[in-house]
Amino acid sequence: MSSEQTNLKPKLKLAVYWGSACGGCCVSVLDTHEKLLDIVAAADPVFWPIALDIKYKDVEAMPDQSIDLTLFNGAVRNSENQHIAQLLRKKTKILVAYGSCAYMGGIPGLANFSGKSEVFERAYVETESTKNPERIFPVTEYPVEEGTLKLPKFFNDVLPLNKVVDVDYYIPGCPPQSERLIEVFTAIVSGAQLPPKGSVVGANDKTNCDECKRTKSENKTIDRFYRPWEIQDDKETCFLEQGVICMGPATRGGCGVRCVEGNSPCRGCYGPPPGATDPGAKMMSAIGTMINADNPEEIDKIIESIVDPAGLFYRFSLPGSILGRKVQ
Amino acid sequence: MEEPRIGVYVCWCGTNISKMVDVEAVTNEVKALPNVTIAKNYKYMCSDPGQDLIIKDIKLHNLNRVVVAACSPRIHELTFRTACEKAGINPYLFEMANVREQDSWVHTDRTEATNKAIDLVVAAIRRVRYHEPLQKRFVNVNPATLIIGGGISGLTAALEIANAGKQVYLVEKSDQLGGQVKKFDLTFPHLSSAQQMIRPIVQRVDNHPNISVFLETEIREVTGYIGNFKTAISVNGGDPVELEFGNIIAAVGLKPFNPEVISEYNYKEFPDVITSFEFEEKLLAGRILTVYGKEPRNVAIIHCVGSRNKKYHEYCSRVCCMAALKYVHQVRAALPSANIFEIYADMRAYGKGHEEFYALTTHRQIMFLMYDQQKKLPVINQADRSDNCNMIIEMDELLSGQSIEVPVDMVILMVNMEAQENVKQVVRAIGVSLCGNQFFIEKHPKLDPVATTTGGVYIIGTCQGPKDIPDSVAQARAAAARILGAIAQGSVPIEVTTASVNELLCCGCQTCIGVCPYKAISYDENNKVSIVNEILCKGCGTCGSACPAGAIISKHFTDLQILSEIEGVMSMS
Repeated sequence: MSSEQTNLKPKLKLAVYWGSACGGCCVSVLDTHEKLLDIVAAADPVFWPIALDIKYKDVEAMPDQSIDLTLFNGAVRNSENQHIAQLLRKKTKILVAYGSCAYMGGIPGLANFSGKSEVFERAYVETESTKNPERIFPVTEYPVEEGTLKLPKFFNDVLPLNKVVDVDYYIPGCPPQSERLIEVFTAIVSGAQLPPKGSVVGANDKTNCDECKRTKSENKTIDRFYRPWEIQDDKETCFLEQGVICMGPATRGGCGVRCVEGNSPCRGCYGPPPGATDPGAKMMSAIGTMINADNPEEIDKIIESIVDPAGLFYRFSLPGSILGRKVQ
Repeated sequence: MEEPRIGVYVCWCGTNISKMVDVEAVTNEVKALPNVTIAKNYKYMCSDPGQDLIIKDIKLHNLNRVVVAACSPRIHELTFRTACEKAGINPYLFEMANVREQDSWVHTDRTEATNKAIDLVVAAIRRVRYHEPLQKRFVNVNPATLIIGGGISGLTAALEIANAGKQVYLVEKSDQLGGQVKKFDLTFPHLSSAQQMIRPIVQRVDNHPNISVFLETEIREVTGYIGNFKTAISVNGGDPVELEFGNIIAAVGLKPFNPEVISEYNYKEFPDVITSFEFEEKLLAGRILTVYGKEPRNVAIIHCVGSRNKKYHEYCSRVCCMAALKYVHQVRAALPSANIFEIYADMRAYGKGHEEFYALTTHRQIMFLMYDQQKKLPVINQADRSDNCNMIIEMDELLSGQSIEVPVDMVILMVNMEAQENVKQVVRAIGVSLCGNQFFIEKHPKLDPVATTTGGVYIIGTCQGPKDIPDSVAQARAAAARILGAIAQGSVPIEVTTASVNELLCCGCQTCIGVCPYKAISYDENNKVSIVNEILCKGCGTCGSACPAGAIISKHFTDLQILSEIEGVMSMS
């Protein structure tokens, strides 16, 4: 028994953490279904707040570099996210920014179109379900009889993981497709040659149109933009050619074009292809060429039919793009 | 990539740069930057000793990148690229920072101008690190030329090229050659006969062994590229004839503006309100008569009809003022006792002999009346029986400040020259651009007025903008000289900084195809990727910015190069 055990390959130590996240990334790990058993067979989860009751102090007590693989999902929104990111970086050999939020800021990153004070105003004063005439806002320290209560500091900016710590790999997606996670995980477990540090893994270099089955042509002239519910999608023609903004051409493949397969335009969660540093700018220049008008008034009119362009084109990528945030 | 070893040279340009930019400070500031091997400044970098400095340093210090901070790259980029080439490094491993036109010449604060120079030089240094060597390419030139338009410009260019022994295909959409000039009686300012001028030219073209004329023919599509164009034309609806040629001249001209839209002039209501072109018909027929068959006792000539007025055309048509003065002489000669009214908005007499012509006209017993184009146009009304004239022009006379009524029997409207109806079809076929006034856009408004951004395509005459006969003829001969030069060389260099598709990244969305103004991109159905024909490509970069997948690389203007340059500009301040 003991000899058999020593012959076993040592199990990897795995951590999964959520920063500013919705929980979907953690669920995508569970979504591996029966393959989860293979994961657990090959790796011991040593820290995973959604699934295991392990405290921060337990992690702090672990030796440095003792965790083989950390899947860090969620953006960095506050000092707690930042602290744990730094802690896990110290404790981990391979730190992966897992999912759109950790990769480029994701949906929480849209908060960078405003700042902390606007977010607080909305959350603690204006929301329809809130009554706060005294304008009480969260504070980082609050003295009570028993001592001082502490809350993490809310940052003005949402940050992608690599603005806080050194990141080894990125797995994009909102959430990443579980199949891609298994591929990457299997590669790490099997000791295969890993790609250069900083690579985006679990995704293609080509963008989604490459795998998209819809018919595409050069005829991309748009007289007005439609939101998906405003047209009768013919289910065959490229969404852009029907006037519906689809982020497919500016978004890495790897998801299996699932949204478009489900007759919904690509929202861009897999992020930009290699070399395209600013997906929003890329898509906007592409869209600009499709507008079927040659005088400024007509062009303006067509552009006005795009609802929330900034949020649309930077839906998953604002903090990690060149733009980064709205100028304050 | 080999480690960049950059030589940086800051030019004084005598005192042009050095009086406003502390060149020594710039040199010192950039000396210690990463990858800068050597940094120097010199009085005149473009001089032979200046260039030798670069050449020697490249060899001595084994430099593989060069930055010169001096004037505009339009002036000396080629000079320094050639110097790099002489020293054995690829000319595209050079970058120029413009610290004269964009800095010393436009600023008055020496400290700020110096800081700006540092930013610009740092940007160039950051950029040049990512420059890649590019190779010059040439294509052979087919010696035949296609000329579109058989007016005075097209005819002149055709003869010039044909007389040099080269084949010309002259295509004219109407049923005769001669263009607008053939509709004129006399020309200004010498009052010489237009007919005696144009008829022999048409005849020479018709009989020239090297010129094939195709009347009633329009060009719908041209394929190919500089040196090697092709088109299929159909004459009188017959079988298409395929033509091959190396260069194209567009000489499609302009057409008279239709004044019907100007309600003040009642052009269609009153038969004796006629355009300048209709008046020419009368002159050619030899009689100036009203529709009633009578000699008009009062003739008014209204200037700027459809010109210099944002409602119609904002631009000046350039030739109408002098043509109007020409009519004064012709009416006076034909009708010695008629009253002649020149109703003008501004008198423009800028050409050779024009001011003298204007002065001469003022002695012909006529009345000059000025109106304000921006405030109120003259209004032509029907006269009463008792008025003893056909029509009355009501106008606010600007010089006297009076509202007056002018009796007239005939009104000549000096109509604007505007684009032909089929102009968009032509520009699409030959791959050139139109400006807001629908004039063909030249490659450079001052230094390259007959070339276009499409290699081998030239524009002459009024389609490039309103102009008179001498200017049109000068352009025709200029374009002919350019084309004969290319034919004599036998081959021409083509753009090096083209776009290319990274097939590993192209997703086949085809966004790029429609945006290319040079029709250089096609879709490869087999590999499901876009392909750039690098002979057709002019490196304009439109596809590179449109490509959402980042798959199109604009050589010499890659994202990495441009972003590094921007980072450089931002890095010091």
